[in-house]
Amino acid sequence: MTGRTTDGVATELARILLGAAVLAAVVAALVWLAGANPLAALRALVHGAFGERYLLAETLVTAVPLAIVGLGVMPALRTGVFTIGSQGQLIAGAALSTAFVFSVPADEPVVLLTVGFMGGVLGGMLYALLPGLLRAYVQVNEILSTLLLNYIAGFALIWLLKGPLAAAAQTATPRSAPLPETSLVPSLLEGTRLHWGAAFVVLLAAGLMVWMRTRSGLLYRVFASNEGLAARLGLSRPRAVVTSFLFAGATAGLAGWLQVAGVAHTLYPSVDGGLGFGGILVAVLGGLRPLGIVLASLMFAALTTGAQGMQMGTSVPAAIAVVTQGLVLLIVAIGLQRKKRTA
Amino acid sequence: MTWTDIVFWQIVLGGMLRLAAPIFLAALGEMITERAGTLNLGIDGIMTAGAFAAVVFAHMAGWQAGLLGAAAVGACYGALLAVSVIRLGANQIVIGIAISLIGAGLTSYLFQLWQPSGQMAIFVPLTPTWKVPFLSDIPFVGPILFRQNLMTYATFVALVVGIFVLAKTRIGIVLKAVGDDPAGAEMRGVDTALVRYVALTLGGALMGLAGAAITLGVLGAFNDGLTNGRGYVALAVVIIGRWSVPGAFAGALLFSFFESLGLRAQSGMSFVPTELFSILPYAMTLLALALTARAKIAPRSL
Repeated sequence: MTGRTTDGVATELARILLGAAVLAAVVAALVWLAGANPLAALRALVHGAFGERYLLAETLVTAVPLAIVGLGVMPALRTGVFTIGSQGQLIAGAALSTAFVFSVPADEPVVLLTVGFMGGVLGGMLYALLPGLLRAYVQVNEILSTLLLNYIAGFALIWLLKGPLAAAAQTATPRSAPLPETSLVPSLLEGTRLHWGAAFVVLLAAGLMVWMRTRSGLLYRVFASNEGLAARLGLSRPRAVVTSFLFAGATAGLAGWLQVAGVAHTLYPSVDGGLGFGGILVAVLGGLRPLGIVLASLMFAALTTGAQGMQMGTSVPAAIAVVTQGLVLLIVAIGLQRKKRTA
Repeated sequence: MTWTDIVFWQIVLGGMLRLAAPIFLAALGEMITERAGTLNLGIDGIMTAGAFAAVVFAHMAGWQAGLLGAAAVGACYGALLAVSVIRLGANQIVIGIAISLIGAGLTSYLFQLWQPSGQMAIFVPLTPTWKVPFLSDIPFVGPILFRQNLMTYATFVALVVGIFVLAKTRIGIVLKAVGDDPAGAEMRGVDTALVRYVALTLGGALMGLAGAAITLGVLGAFNDGLTNGRGYVALAVVIIGRWSVPGAFAGALLFSFFESLGLRAQSGMSFVPTELFSILPYAMTLLALALTARAKIAPRSL
């Protein structure tokens, strides 16, 4: 227990600084390649993410689904179930909630919001059930089954938006009709797109923090390190796998409903927009801890909205955000390992 | 032309071989990687990078340069993964995901710098099509097998060389030994780390070439998201094919048959939604994965 000496802190600080320096150097080189001044680009990025009330709200709007998806896959990743299917589950939730909202002959917000919420959760869970069962009972690699299902969901969504869920008016690109006013998630901040769905982030993070301290949470932790012991304590392998899949699906589906009923107000083929994949990254970068995941999703969201601002202000394509996210993941994954080794 | 027409099937099967090239080359790269006991999940990002590099280099100096460029870029990504995992000891799943992000993101970034949106797409000539004399005149199978793009023939060569090297040469035996029993191989004087470096780098080069097979073998231009998850399909194909070269080829044919059928049938069967045909290859791959999953014959140290 002598890891926390000043020497240990100094090497850890040096490691973090080294990682940040490598990241900054690579990103600055890319910005320079695009013919922009790296410092001006950084200013544009910060302004794009936090500079105005509306932009700050946009960062939060992006952080909400990232955090929900990330918190949702946290138990699965802790259990050793590597689901990468949040994208497909988010799409399924968005599609089913839209279908539910349009098929219920009600006009009260309470009913429509409940129905939309249930559609999102149910759609995500149903879409997660198949890879969950395949993993639990037939040993199908969940990374692959969920990746394939992501593509299947993407094509199925386009079909739905051309057929059963198509807008009544002729549109150039497939999309649904706008959702009725009474089914929309209420706005949280006047004049911005920030909606009350943000409350789910707080609920989920708090709920998971409590869960980790309960008997069930401890059982899942035991499962990750000692399957046999967990089974004797009442948590069998199929149950652990399917349950963590269903939880991940439910939350991704919830995020899907929020993206439609809270942000876009219409179901577009681009409803996922990289959020499913991003949510998983955020979970990993957040160290599979609730608060870490929320912080990481804020950072990722700031990077995404900031890069869009930067694209408008300078000549730097917004794809720099994806490169940076990948580099951060790479550097953190290497850094964590070094820390473990020297500890 | 409808599906009852013999020419229809001739075109479908010819297209199947052409579309199998990217998947098989990527699967072969992944198989070499996994046979050495490592995993490359960045396969789709590396294919994207290879597809783009192929177009850029082909635009500057012809298709030969395009192929070389794609292989070189793929090898760089493979080496990056190798250093991160072998030298620096990072988790290979996380690094793989990071590489697929960097591959896709960096390619998209460079693509927009090279061709700002709104500009005309830059097209490059495809690799040459070669008609094998006499053989291509055989009824039905002739045009399918012997009137193909260079990339398709390269796939045939890769198939034969892959089978031979893995089964009959010392290189193949060492590779399998490192994946199955690294400690034993080390004791017999094999440098397992070196074998893994070479396998990951060579595997990356093949994934880059797989990307080139899309742009230089089929499309003639680059666009964002053009792999449509083919890298992940290749990953599935390795498992479906039980880590064998002919198995991977069969798996690639399974996907590309339904892909080719979808492309052709869209004109012949307008009553079926096109998206259903787009889904079919992925659904079939998933089904094959489920049917073959019980057999546990992966390299033991994977």
